[in-house]
Amino acid sequence: MEKLLNIKNLQVTVADKEAEDTSKEILKGIDLQVNKGEIHVVLGPNGSGKSTLMNAIMGHPKYEIAGGSLEFEGEDLTELKTFERARKGIFLSFQTPEEIPGITVENMIRTAKQAVTGENIKVVKFRKELKAAMKELQMDESYAQRYMNVGFSGGEKKRNEILQMLMLQPKLALLDETDSGLDVDAIQIVSNGVKKFHNEDNACLIITHNTRILKQLNVDKVHVLMQGKIVAEGGPELIEKIDKEGFGFLQGAE
Amino acid sequence: MAQEKTYIEDIERTLYDIKNVDKSKYKSQSGLTEDIIRDISARKNDPDWMLEFRLKSLEVYNQLSLPNWGPDLSELNMDEIVTYVQPDAKMTGSWDEVPEDIKETFDRLGIPEAEQTSLAGVGAQYDSEVVYHSIQEDLVKQGVIYTDMETALHEHEEIVRDHFMKLVPPKDHKFAALHGAVWSGGSFVYVPEGVHVEIPLQSYFRLNAAGAGQFEHTLIIVEKNASLHFIEGCSAPKYNVTNLHAGCVELFVNDGARLRYSTIENWSRNMMNLNTKRAVVGKDGVIEWVSGSFGSHVSMLYPCSVLKGENAKCEFTGVTFASKGQNLDTGASVIHCAPHTSANISTRTISKAGGKATYRSAVKVTKNAPYAKCSVNCESLMLDDISRSDTLPTMDIEGDEADIGHEATIGRISDEAIFYLMSRGVSEDEARSMIVRGFVEPIAKELPLEYAVEMNNLVNIELEGTMG
Amino acid sequence: MNKEIFSEIPMRTWNWLGVNEAVVDKDLLVESQNLDIKIEADHQEKMLVEYRKESYGIVNINIGENASLKLTQLQLMPQDCDHVNEINVVLEKKARLQLVAVETGAKSFASKVNIILKGDKSQADVSLLYFGDGDRSLDMNYVLEFQGRKTVGNLEVYGGLMGESQKIFRGTLDFKQGSKQAKGYEKENVVVLSSGVRNRSVPIMLSGEDDVVGNHAVSSGKINEDKLHYLMSRGLSPAEARKLVLEAAFNPVLELIDDEALRQEIDSYIKERLENE
Repeated sequence: MEKLLNIKNLQVTVADKEAEDTSKEILKGIDLQVNKGEIHVVLGPNGSGKSTLMNAIMGHPKYEIAGGSLEFEGEDLTELKTFERARKGIFLSFQTPEEIPGITVENMIRTAKQAVTGENIKVVKFRKELKAAMKELQMDESYAQRYMNVGFSGGEKKRNEILQMLMLQPKLALLDETDSGLDVDAIQIVSNGVKKFHNEDNACLIITHNTRILKQLNVDKVHVLMQGKIVAEGGPELIEKIDKEGFGFLQGAE
Repeated sequence: MAQEKTYIEDIERTLYDIKNVDKSKYKSQSGLTEDIIRDISARKNDPDWMLEFRLKSLEVYNQLSLPNWGPDLSELNMDEIVTYVQPDAKMTGSWDEVPEDIKETFDRLGIPEAEQTSLAGVGAQYDSEVVYHSIQEDLVKQGVIYTDMETALHEHEEIVRDHFMKLVPPKDHKFAALHGAVWSGGSFVYVPEGVHVEIPLQSYFRLNAAGAGQFEHTLIIVEKNASLHFIEGCSAPKYNVTNLHAGCVELFVNDGARLRYSTIENWSRNMMNLNTKRAVVGKDGVIEWVSGSFGSHVSMLYPCSVLKGENAKCEFTGVTFASKGQNLDTGASVIHCAPHTSANISTRTISKAGGKATYRSAVKVTKNAPYAKCSVNCESLMLDDISRSDTLPTMDIEGDEADIGHEATIGRISDEAIFYLMSRGVSEDEARSMIVRGFVEPIAKELPLEYAVEMNNLVNIELEGTMG
Repeated sequence: MNKEIFSEIPMRTWNWLGVNEAVVDKDLLVESQNLDIKIEADHQEKMLVEYRKESYGIVNINIGENASLKLTQLQLMPQDCDHVNEINVVLEKKARLQLVAVETGAKSFASKVNIILKGDKSQADVSLLYFGDGDRSLDMNYVLEFQGRKTVGNLEVYGGLMGESQKIFRGTLDFKQGSKQAKGYEKENVVVLSSGVRNRSVPIMLSGEDDVVGNHAVSSGKINEDKLHYLMSRGLSPAEARKLVLEAAFNPVLELIDDEALRQEIDSYIKERLENE
């Protein structure tokens, strides 16, 4: 199995907005390996550090790597800027996607695709692909000419994220689905999108505390994150257990 | 097939900066005296009433003081401004007859080329006089008049006399009075009832002489149920001395008529741009302003729409980009004088590198305007912490049937938006400029394609060096 | 008559709008009653200022580090008096001000409020209610100046105008250079109940700092027809419905008045005015 993502003893701090110049450790030594062809899930209660893990992998400037290593296809990621990581083939589907007035969905995706592939993307062919992908996601074509996420509902924003994932074809897709407010519709969009996207050559890392999202997916591995540490690992059976019992049985694991 | 916009090729800023040797045929003395005004008037062969008008305006000018609000104008010394510079060229309808150096200037600015491809008529002013004017034959046949103001003053004297500075009277403010005294050049457009001018007309104003003033007068009359898109462009090379632009634009939009007035202003940064623009709109008429302010050292520009007829409408879209050494005070005003009038004002301002951008507006709803509707939206983007961005709107509403809304925001590019774009593989610099371009997109999309490209280029030039 | 400038907006604009300054009778400014207050660090205080007779009141306040003050100022002057009042507040680090101001009385009044968010993380929440009827004249000039980092200022204004009343409300958010990560918000909602009203608003936002978030919004208009229709479908007369909507609009401020009796007094005062419409 080809290793895609290899995280060892990762410690991440964040500049605390309230107390100036002090930083707070959020991830306290994480080990995680994701291979090609796999779907991994990270579960955990609110504030356990799930979103921080996603942001740290994508290189959000607010999060600092205080220790450990973060490799993608054998290459150290820690010094790379966010867009360089994206160009390596990492994609993050945001929990709350940004609204960007003035930039159309089509323009955004085409610019991104050019950046990621380093190729000049032909308009006609691109439009055709975009149309097909939008159809797949039951998105109205008119959305291609709307400004990025401006005035989109929660479900529409989610669809737009998945659309970008399908169009950009990353090697590793990170899906931050922490938002407990996701409705049934949005959950369906995400799991269908992942099903469509996933194949032998790529991998998904899905973060959620909503286990319904996983029902339709063939999950390979589950990691449970609590208070900045992975406290349990296992197969899909862990999802069911947590679904029934909550995280309570793991409280003592620390 | 969809036409692609190209953002790659930069227009060099130096393109606007190339100055020609001053070969003017005649220059008035600097400063402002009765003699100078009589001299200008004689040279222009004004009718008597116009000479009187000029002298009256001078009187008003001398009585009025500088505004006690807005940007500091103390740098402006009228004694040093040459108010009239006559180029060594006759007004012509053929580019071949335009002197080589002047023609080259307009070539560089792309005017004759645009004339071929996307305009129905062109006017080109060089310093104080219009050197070229053209209009498509079929428009002439429909009775459309598009010519320079001097020609209009002689050939259509009655119309000019009935409208000239009726909307912006000289006593309006000091620079309106100045304009009344020394105006020269500009364009006159008359669109007869029911005629739709489908392709835009464009006038371009170029100020080449150092230390000079440009005072062109634009008078447009769009008769009942007619329509027109008029484009105005302006630029000047940079000098170390102050140049002054105090133009005046008067637009008469009659019942059921529609006028779109687009401006991309890119004066050099030694220019004091104190321009007055006003439109009066009749019943069911529409005035649309699209205004891009990029150049000049100091600008005071607030196009005003007087909604006089029932159901008259105003749409104002503006963008102002203030960079180093610039104090751009721009905005709009709307006066609702009739029932069911409506206005929509949407502006974007950007400031960087110590530039100062001010949005200033006034919305006035009189007692005679029940059911007036006005919405103002004004967004300001600051690219660093040494610049300034100020927003100063005023609403004055009489009566209880008006529906007025105003919204404004101020802030910088959000780090989260940059991270989001970077997570899609876009570099940080590109992410920033994408966001800025997106910020001005509502204006760019209102412009004809060439101007949208030009505006994007101006934005790109401005953003260079601020990145990273 | 002898007039004098009482307050000005921080940045002037067109003179024809008549909003640059508030001019009052010189006589009114001759004798002021001053109240100087210092809230010591870490203390929490509540204060009530009531104006019920002709006067020029000035309240100067310094709120120390970590201290907080809730200031309620009620202007319930008789209808035949003129009045001016002034509040100046400086907030030190992490200090908090909650200002609840009600301006319902006087024939003609001018008020100015100047709040300086000097210390980092200081916060001011200002709620203002004004109500004008008859031929009364209302003139207000509120300025929130952001100096410290991470300062927060909110200005919420609820107004009702009827009769031939005239009003000017000027609200300024002024972000000084260095007020990094400051947040300012200003909102004015005006409900207009009669056609004789003149309503002027000047929401100003000044900024010499990029790392701030500033928003202002003004809405002025008559009562939403749908809302009125809904209430009337429940059996209310048009007059009753309008009153109810206006009362509801004022509630966000009235709720902040701790003293039940005073709240009742203002409430019934406004109700009475509405009755006499």
